Amino acid sequence: MLDRLVGLTMLIAASTVFLYYSIWTLFMPFVDEDHPLHTLFPPRVWAIRIPVILILLFSTVVGSFVSVVMIRSNRRKALKAKAQKSQ
Amino acid sequence: MTRAQQTISIALLLSSLYLACFLGVVPFSPKIQNEIVPVLPFWALVTFGSYLLFKLGYGVFTFNDVPEAHKELMAEISLARADLQKKGVDVGND
Repeated sequence: MLDRLVGLTMLIAASTVFLYYSIWTLFMPFVDEDHPLHTLFPPRVWAIRIPVILILLFSTVVGSFVSVVMIRSNRRKALKAKAQKSQ
Repeated sequence: MTRAQQTISIALLLSSLYLACFLGVVPFSPKIQNEIVPVLPFWALVTFGSYLLFKLGYGVFTFNDVPEAHKELMAEISLARADLQKKGVDVGND
């Protein structure tokens, strides 16, 4: 039951993000400045800034995770090598 | 042709097409050139991301439980662990 809900949430989130972002970037430039539709969207600079910030954040998290795992495994290997040498 | 070669050639094709549009080689109306063309890669990235999320969510949503396969898989895992442990591999603890 819960996993169904999670799946449905992902579906709705993906569709919403796609629709909102597509309208924001591809449709809004052709809408007059004084149309009330503009109140639903932040200034278009943010349409670029938000993906860039997310990309940087994501690569930071992934990079840190990979480095922590590598450092930990190297430490374990060094410990094992030292233990073998001292035997 | 491997899949990697296929992917790289399609990526190169799309990149060169986009570069032509971006550098003004292809004539567009000034509004499109200044407001739509620079935004296209980000839009493509967001579309790709939401497509992946959609596919994932759909898979999770329509996946039905398979209790026999689960039992079988658990039995296979314990067999493999016993076997590897006998051969001296560090299989960790559950």
